Amino acid sequence: MREKILYVLGIAALLILAWNVNAIARLPEETQQGVTFKIIFFHVPMWAAAVTAACTALLASVGFLITKNFRFDALAVAVTEVGLAFTTVGLVTGSIWGREIWGIWWTWDARLTSALVCWLLYAGYLMLRNAIEEPTQRATFAAVFSIFAFLDVPIVVFSIKWWRTQHPQPVFWNGGSFPPDWTTHFLWNMVAMLLLGTVMVAVRLRQEEAQREIDSLRRMAHAL
Amino acid sequence: MHLISQTPLLAQLVSDAERLQHQYEFLSYGLTAAWVILAVYLLIMVSRERKLKREIGSLRAILEEKK
Repeated sequence: MREKILYVLGIAALLILAWNVNAIARLPEETQQGVTFKIIFFHVPMWAAAVTAACTALLASVGFLITKNFRFDALAVAVTEVGLAFTTVGLVTGSIWGREIWGIWWTWDARLTSALVCWLLYAGYLMLRNAIEEPTQRATFAAVFSIFAFLDVPIVVFSIKWWRTQHPQPVFWNGGSFPPDWTTHFLWNMVAMLLLGTVMVAVRLRQEEAQREIDSLRRMAHAL
Repeated sequence: MHLISQTPLLAQLVSDAERLQHQYEFLSYGLTAAWVILAVYLLIMVSRERKLKREIGSLRAILEEKK
């Protein structure tokens, strides 16, 4: 049953994306940035999925520290790994957009730098997990590190409001808007990315369960 | 080329077409990079899943033998 739900969600996400890519290609050019602006339809939803993953990782890590339930630990590692993939895509698509619009691949402004630090912190989280053998110690250290890593997430999100950055100011926060049909496709891409992220997290969670089964089978094999 | 330089409208059209082509190039780089990264991650996941299933299978076989 769970498998079927995952397939349905995954196919729904891919169908929405396929339909949306076609629809976005037909949208008119943006006045100043031209066609390159359309990267935003993928760049922002990827970041939205990444921030959602970071928030879920924070809640799961706090949940583990309070309850010591390993399901929270499994959820934390699953969302962190998937979130890191989305963060990577966000950084790369942003860099490609910057090369065309700014003429540079990268600049050390507050948004870009804090986003890179965020990527490094969550990559460090996964490396930390690999470095600790004992499961309870690994989960506890990882949960504490995940909470620490989350401190960077509000800096990434609000840096464009707090400081003058080369990164553009937020479109919607400053009373700006898209034309209605642009907003529709933008929101559908958000839904598709979140669905895709949910499916990836569910698959990753199943792998964590399989890993726990392997650990218990190994213990049984040693005991016999 | 001679015709283009003498016809401002045609020159403008060629310049617009070149700009559009350049922008589409960068848009396609962005989209390709996005999907390639996600596809690579999915492939890593699939290979990890296979490895885990193989490991569970072999451990169960060892347990059966020991019993």
